[in-house]
Amino acid sequence: MKDRLLLSVWLVAVVGITFIHDPVWLGGLLLLAFALAGKATPGLLKRALVAIALVNIAVSAGFVLSASIAGEPWGLFVIRLNLRVLLLTFLTLWLARQLDLVRAVDFSPSLKFVVVLTLGQIKTFQRLLSDYRMAFRSRSLGRPDLKTRTRSAGRQAGALLEKAELQATEVNLGMRSRGFFDDRA
Amino acid sequence: MHIPDGLIAPQVYLAAYAAAAPAWAYAVRKVARDFDESLIPRLAVLTALAFVLTTVMIPLPGGTSGHVIGVGLLALAFGIWPAFLAYSLVLVLQSLLFGAGGITVLAVNALAMGLAAAAVTVGVHRLLVGWGKSVGVLVGVWCGVVVSAVLVALVLGVQPQMGTDATGQPLFFPFGPAVTLPVIVIPHLIIGAGEALLTWMVLSVTGRRRVPA
Repeated sequence: MKDRLLLSVWLVAVVGITFIHDPVWLGGLLLLAFALAGKATPGLLKRALVAIALVNIAVSAGFVLSASIAGEPWGLFVIRLNLRVLLLTFLTLWLARQLDLVRAVDFSPSLKFVVVLTLGQIKTFQRLLSDYRMAFRSRSLGRPDLKTRTRSAGRQAGALLEKAELQATEVNLGMRSRGFFDDRA
Repeated sequence: MHIPDGLIAPQVYLAAYAAAAPAWAYAVRKVARDFDESLIPRLAVLTALAFVLTTVMIPLPGGTSGHVIGVGLLALAFGIWPAFLAYSLVLVLQSLLFGAGGITVLAVNALAMGLAAAAVTVGVHRLLVGWGKSVGVLVGVWCGVVVSAVLVALVLGVQPQMGTDATGQPLFFPFGPAVTLPVIVIPHLIIGAGEALLTWMVLSVTGRRRVPA
């Protein structure tokens, strides 16, 4: 219940924030979000800044440059854009820290199973990919050339695709053998 | 290529949700019909696959690399609607786990990078497969990546029309299509070529030693 409520409040908040254009309000809400996150603020802020840095710096710098050349003001836009994007990203990362995604979607048993299985499968695939990368590195003397790296990337993606087909069949058989589909019928 | 939260006006992303909702509903029905009881495991595995595929790096000349989008591969291997559904779930996970993309722009990103890319890839592939499998895959995936880049550029490019404040400064993304189209689309002409090559390699390898279902 708590997780579903949290998810709903966050959804309303992120949509609402996109209707706010006053930097003072956005700044105030950001400070409120920092207070809400408490001790987690520095870590979440760092992650949020890393996530938005590339796009925000490019957009802000481009706008400052073009507005300066045209002799137009740019300060308000840059402050507003950066505060809004930072606030939205910070709130999302804070939610991800607070939220148990599986509990949040338990209103739908099918969705819950998809989320549980997906998160588990991601770990399996990440392990496979990491094994491939380490094996590739251990077999390479120096930095491999472009052709070799391209071939390796292709093999990695191919291995993932094959593993996915096998896993889908295996999980399906596992669920059937445990009566999952009978319970739902 | 994800559009992050905060750059798109509500009137655009809400309209995108209105367009995406029936597409998601149709996708769920279609996938449920095609995959019957294996829907849940298949969808979960596909989503995980799409998520992890985005971490496979495409080497670019000069020692740098970009990441795979993976929709073309999913669409050619499993079909348009499973690819769209799986990619939409990936966007949700990426938003929650990494702060990449966002929930307000989910529908825009899903329609452009999930549905449009998958549909164009499969459509062009079907048109050109008569000229050879490789041609169909290479051109199809490249077109899918480029079309999704064009759509993202257009969505961003209309934001200056969505309102300005009292001082005349834009409320959302500030550049029009004259800027967004070349800035976003030109790099994707190269990224699309890398993705097409990688998809062709993967499908060639898996096609030669197909896993029994």
